[in-house]
Amino acid sequence: MNFLAPFFLVGALAVIGPVIFHLVRRSTRERTIFSSVMFLPPTRSRLTHRSRLEHWLLLLLRCVALGLLAIGFARPFWRKAPAAGEPASAVRRLVVLVDVSASMRRAGLWDEAKSRAEAILRAAGPGDEAALYLFSRQARPLISFEEWKAAPAGERGALVATRLAASAPGWLDDRLGDALITAAEALADTDAEKKFGGARQIFLVSDLKAGSRLDSLQAYEWPKTIALQVEALPARHPTNAGLQLVAEAADADRLAAPAIRVRVRNAATSTREQFRVGWAGPAGAALGAPIDVYVPPGQSRVVAVPALGNPADMRELVLSGDDEDFDNTVFVVPTQKQHWSVLYFGTEAADDSRRPRFFLERALPDNPHLAVRLVACAPAALIPPAQLQEAKLAFVTDPLGAATAAQLRGAMLAGQTVCFAPTGAAADGTLGALLNLPGLTLVDAQPADYAMFGEIDFQHPLFAPFADPHYSDFTKIHIWKYRRLSAATIPGARVLARFDGGDPAVMEVRVGQGRLLLLLTGWNPDDSQLAVSSKFVPMVSALLEQAGGSTDAPAQFAVGEAIPLDRSGGEEGPATVREPDGTTIGLPAGATGFTGALQPGIYLMTSGTRSTRVAVNVAASESRTEPLAADELERYGAPGPQAPADPAANARRQALLQDSEVESRQKLWRWLLGATLGVLLLESALAGWTTRGRGATVTPRSTPT
Amino acid sequence: MSDLAHRSPLQSAALIDPRALLSVRSLELRARLVVEGFWKGLHRSPYHGFSVEFTEYRQYSPGDDPRYLDWRVYARSDRYFIKKFEDETNLRCHLLVDQSRSMSFGSAGYTKGQYAATLAATLAYFLHLQGDATGLLTFDEAVREYLPARHRAGHLRQLMLALEKPAGGRSTDLTEPVGRLTTLVRKRGLVAYLSDFLAPIERLETSLLALTACGHEVTVFQVLDPAELTLPFDQAAMFEDLESAERVYIDPAAARADYVPKIEAHCAAVRASCQKLGIGYHRISTAQPLELALFEFLQERRRRGPGRPVAGKGRR
Repeated sequence: MNFLAPFFLVGALAVIGPVIFHLVRRSTRERTIFSSVMFLPPTRSRLTHRSRLEHWLLLLLRCVALGLLAIGFARPFWRKAPAAGEPASAVRRLVVLVDVSASMRRAGLWDEAKSRAEAILRAAGPGDEAALYLFSRQARPLISFEEWKAAPAGERGALVATRLAASAPGWLDDRLGDALITAAEALADTDAEKKFGGARQIFLVSDLKAGSRLDSLQAYEWPKTIALQVEALPARHPTNAGLQLVAEAADADRLAAPAIRVRVRNAATSTREQFRVGWAGPAGAALGAPIDVYVPPGQSRVVAVPALGNPADMRELVLSGDDEDFDNTVFVVPTQKQHWSVLYFGTEAADDSRRPRFFLERALPDNPHLAVRLVACAPAALIPPAQLQEAKLAFVTDPLGAATAAQLRGAMLAGQTVCFAPTGAAADGTLGALLNLPGLTLVDAQPADYAMFGEIDFQHPLFAPFADPHYSDFTKIHIWKYRRLSAATIPGARVLARFDGGDPAVMEVRVGQGRLLLLLTGWNPDDSQLAVSSKFVPMVSALLEQAGGSTDAPAQFAVGEAIPLDRSGGEEGPATVREPDGTTIGLPAGATGFTGALQPGIYLMTSGTRSTRVAVNVAASESRTEPLAADELERYGAPGPQAPADPAANARRQALLQDSEVESRQKLWRWLLGATLGVLLLESALAGWTTRGRGATVTPRSTPT
Repeated sequence: MSDLAHRSPLQSAALIDPRALLSVRSLELRARLVVEGFWKGLHRSPYHGFSVEFTEYRQYSPGDDPRYLDWRVYARSDRYFIKKFEDETNLRCHLLVDQSRSMSFGSAGYTKGQYAATLAATLAYFLHLQGDATGLLTFDEAVREYLPARHRAGHLRQLMLALEKPAGGRSTDLTEPVGRLTTLVRKRGLVAYLSDFLAPIERLETSLLALTACGHEVTVFQVLDPAELTLPFDQAAMFEDLESAERVYIDPAAARADYVPKIEAHCAAVRASCQKLGIGYHRISTAQPLELALFEFLQERRRRGPGRPVAGKGRR
């Protein structure tokens, strides 16, 4: 029999206790309460030297109980001879995780990583199972367990060297937490768990920078039997500063001169604090005067770099003054303010606050990226074709002249969007002309109290911004007057909203390439409260976006992120992406985005006639190159980095692990504990019986109160 | 104990076993049981009208309040009689009851203290029925409670409550309560002294003398447990004194020969002191029925006071 915790056997010495108590017991005497001892002559106590113990059976039971308890605590087990099928020596299963994120581009790190990984895999025994994974955003196997097993033991080193030589760090940011989980699952997912017992290890070869993302580890329960050994690669140069593009300030247009804002971040380990940021041309030549930036180690500064005179030159901003240049360039796509126009067919004056124009003009966006101008047109006059073509949208509130209506219909057929919001039933002729349905009649309706929007189609882009239940309450908008029109009279009309009485409120009709949006109540105060509600401006924005494309500022992307295609024009056909190095990649029809941006630079996305330039930069987290705090991995639930142990200690630990496994399978302590309880019960019964037997002889009874 | 019990006419009557009696929880009920059983036995005996002091009517003498004249008796007999009221009495009896820790010893399932309290309650109840005033003084090493002698509604209940209090105190002082009683009670009366007298008795005689000198008629009841007289234990053990908590290792077999004469000598000394002063002494064993003790008490009263009026019938 073997013991897992033999020092508990010392507890068996506690049997001395009962022996002493049994010996001490001899000198104790009965006690009798008596009223007064004044007449009682004291008897000389006779010492009785008895060599034998009283109640030897009780003593024996007590000693046995203590002994069993001590043996139980020592965790006994029977060690079996190893079965024929089991490997004689400990076999390991290990995964080597090598970091290939952008920060590994720093000088010397990749060579060091390769040599460390090779050394680890060379040290693996012939029976060991190993896999080599590279990780940045995701972990992918470079050599899988199957490949490792398939390769002859002598050729494994060469295989590792070849595969590593063919790999290099990319531009992606690293998700260390995800990579560790992938490796742990690769170790845990097979039935190898039983076969390998506790000998499962992950070797992490990484620069372990502070920017590594570990948060996914928080939700993962790290398997207890998987050990993690960290091979942290020291950076050759301590100074590193990174450059990131910062979103434009809301008041950017109020600045004296246009500028691009960038953040300069200096790593905590840096020894220098002075850097320069400036524009660079295609061949790396400096454009304009660079600006000096002072950033103490561990801090960051946001600086505004003045824009160049020619926006076409503004492509790259370069930081200089640090040792590592992988994160020193940001690619910029300067935003250019767009000027759109919308046509308005109405007779009212611009400052008539009872009429629709007054409100529409104020709802049109005017921001650093986009300015929309309202062009008022007389309802009966013809519009110059260029102006009509240039306009993104046309609003009609008053009856149009027949020629103008025909002109607008023609524009609609060619792809124009018209929003028709009649202020009276007299405009039914115009509607008939626009839709080429002469018999249409509009009827003025005036509800007894007021009407409300009832049924709204939140799937449509016009109402999509309000789909969230927080914003979907339209009941606060009271409608005093509206125009009644049966949806059935217009073939192909889609009702987007209805009044609470059931009459259509907003309809969309496809006309050729374009469409007509029919709003059957005005937003002017005489008709409804729509213009003064919080829904009006988002609705106008949605209309513009639907007609002319995104009104937001262009987004910036990190390497590896999905870049959405601008499909606002309604194109569904194939698209192309031109990468920074000039390669063109085709995207299939229906694709909504591009996920293959693996290098920083400016990508040109073309969908139909629309082309967008998108800047893709190295993720900001890659610039945080100071080493990760030592306890950070443990804080997120992974085992802390372990120093490589000596083989003797390893073998001892292995043997201990095996022993504890055998012990936990046999669980002899349970039987011993049960036996202890049985002995204690017997002891109690015996003690009770003995006490009762003696108690019966005590006479007479004394009753102290 | 005197041999009077053997001659007692109560012998034929059904006596209540003290063990059964003391298992009754209420002290008042116990006293009532004893007294009523005693009355029943009495009626079958030739000893009618045992009483301490009893009168219903007294012949009018000049100076008496004419308010109390019984005019109906006058109408029948043409004599003036003064009507006595229930709360008017001539006898004042004080019960001196030891409640020290030594009284909490008992070998028969009840303690000496319980027995003495029942005896005191029985006397009090008997006297109360007679219309006599009863007072109480309990003590251990000091006086614990004092109730002046009264005969009024609720007094008996108060007295019972005081008697029911458990024994306390670490020693017994036999002289202090007597001295206190002499100062508290100026009018002469009857004093019944109930104790085990298991304490030094050097000054007992002096203090009892003070009582008799005050004109009190004193009766001493020495209440002892049978085990205290015979030491029937068979195992050597540590004997612990109830009062002083002193422990002495005693082998009863060896100590008995020495102990029994000593305790008998002590009792004899108490008895001698009493006899010297003309005080009635009764050694009561707790195994003895309470009626006998009551009977002894009344017998003695009868013997001692032949000149006093003894009513021919009791009032219940």
